[in-house]
Amino acid sequence: MHVIVVGCGRVGSEVALNLAGSEHDVVVIDRRLESFRRLGDGFKGTTMVGVGFDRDVLTEAGITPNCSVAAVTSGDNSNILIARVARETFGVKHVVARIYDPRRASIYERLGIATVASVAWTSARVLRHLMDSESTPDWIDPSAKFTIVERRVSTAAAGLSIANLEASSKGRVAVMARFGEASIPSPATLLQEDDVLHIVIPADSTELLDSALQATGGSHS
Amino acid sequence: MNVIIAGAGSVGRYMAGQLQDSGHTVTLIDNDSTVVAQGRATRTPVGVTWCLGDACEVATLTAVGAAQADVVAAVTGDDEDNLVVSLLSKQEFAVPRVLARVNNPKNEWMFNDMWGVDVSVSTPHLLTGLVEEAVTVGSFVRLLSLEGGKARLAEVTLATGSPAVSKELTELGLPRESTVVAVLRDGHVVVPRGDTVLHEGDEVLVLVTGGVEDDVRRALVG
Amino acid sequence: MALLRRKRDDKEVEPAPVPAPASIPMCDALPRERVCVKGKVVRMTARPTSGQPALAVSISDETATVTAVWTGRREIGGITLGRKIAISGVPVLRGDHLEFTNPDYTLLPR
Repeated sequence: MHVIVVGCGRVGSEVALNLAGSEHDVVVIDRRLESFRRLGDGFKGTTMVGVGFDRDVLTEAGITPNCSVAAVTSGDNSNILIARVARETFGVKHVVARIYDPRRASIYERLGIATVASVAWTSARVLRHLMDSESTPDWIDPSAKFTIVERRVSTAAAGLSIANLEASSKGRVAVMARFGEASIPSPATLLQEDDVLHIVIPADSTELLDSALQATGGSHS
Repeated sequence: MNVIIAGAGSVGRYMAGQLQDSGHTVTLIDNDSTVVAQGRATRTPVGVTWCLGDACEVATLTAVGAAQADVVAAVTGDDEDNLVVSLLSKQEFAVPRVLARVNNPKNEWMFNDMWGVDVSVSTPHLLTGLVEEAVTVGSFVRLLSLEGGKARLAEVTLATGSPAVSKELTELGLPRESTVVAVLRDGHVVVPRGDTVLHEGDEVLVLVTGGVEDDVRRALVG
Repeated sequence: MALLRRKRDDKEVEPAPVPAPASIPMCDALPRERVCVKGKVVRMTARPTSGQPALAVSISDETATVTAVWTGRREIGGITLGRKIAISGVPVLRGDHLEFTNPDYTLLPR
């Protein structure tokens, strides 16, 4: 997979090193050459000095609709610009932006941009978004019977009710975050794209959950 | 009018002073406590309300009354900040007129309704335009871009050989999608009427929509 | 884990209503005031502006019609003709109707 990481700070470099190590095609963009020192020697990806929302720079970095972009500079405003340019000008679907000010999260989320707040484990959460990988659960109970997993609702599942999702997946949606606000959703709540769900499911039901979330809905009601 | 200006650099302070003088209510926002403290202490520009805060935050814009503002001008030295202020002003406060300054011409393409910008002003462009105007009589100089780039304010200083000299405005055959906004002559403004006769040396300010720029140029420059 | 436990009666219960925010009739909505309105999607158009995609959705309750514009998108999951939807934001007056830019939205059951 082709991944563009903008911002080679602590989070950006961690994400880049992690991904380049697993044989993804990684390009790191930063305004300052010195920032790339964090990548160490032997970094298997490419580095580019430049501004991450500059169309020419992104084109040179090989941006396409199928790649993934992580906007993880030290500035919220830069990250939102990068994220919007990637999504709206270049049609990239997998974009994640890091935000420092949680009050801005709802603004970004409303533009359909996945955000990751700047707390501990930011790199891990950014990676999870980029890889679309559902592999790391939030929590597993000691008996290994149940697990809590995080899922971001895709366009396909929009319109599906919480009740229906719970019935199909044999789980319970513990918390839902929408437009940056978290709540415990009622069963009649309809899922919307970009909702982030934290779902308790039996440990062996991940596939069931994921197929429930893929089911396309003209028929959702 | 209620005007909020984000960015109290030289541009912001100048604008604030001018607008306040013209009788508008002006608030200046800046994130630099020294700048704001100095502004408050010296009370310059006169009559302007100062606010210390980050204009890119909804809370700050709420505090300065963006919900009642007629105009927000995002004129900081940072394009990213100007775009975010514009977006918030339009989206969260439905401010009728949002003006934003473009610092780096490479970013000009974003300064439109994608980010809530109604009018963008590119300082380098403007400066270049003014230089050209000072240096070249007779050429068509673009000053300002409006409506997300769909309309432009341009200026032509009529040279000796201009086809417009000694003609009435109605005789120029200017296309419908253009309007002569003002004629500057000998240091004063002539409000243009159909029978206004143009002279050599007149500075003609004309508003043009994209398609007809060439026709206007031909009528005024030749 | 107390958060995760939910009391459920043994018998069938009506699902609780979708917690949509309190809405007002569209004809009562004023520009530049934060408001929530709900209605049915009556029209959807792609409205590309300045080279970027945008989705314009007209929503109508029996009293009036408003437009919601989402920038940078061509579609939003679940928003289709006939869908009942609530939107919340600060609208501008565009001509004779109100227009919301990137409002919060809630899909409502049919």
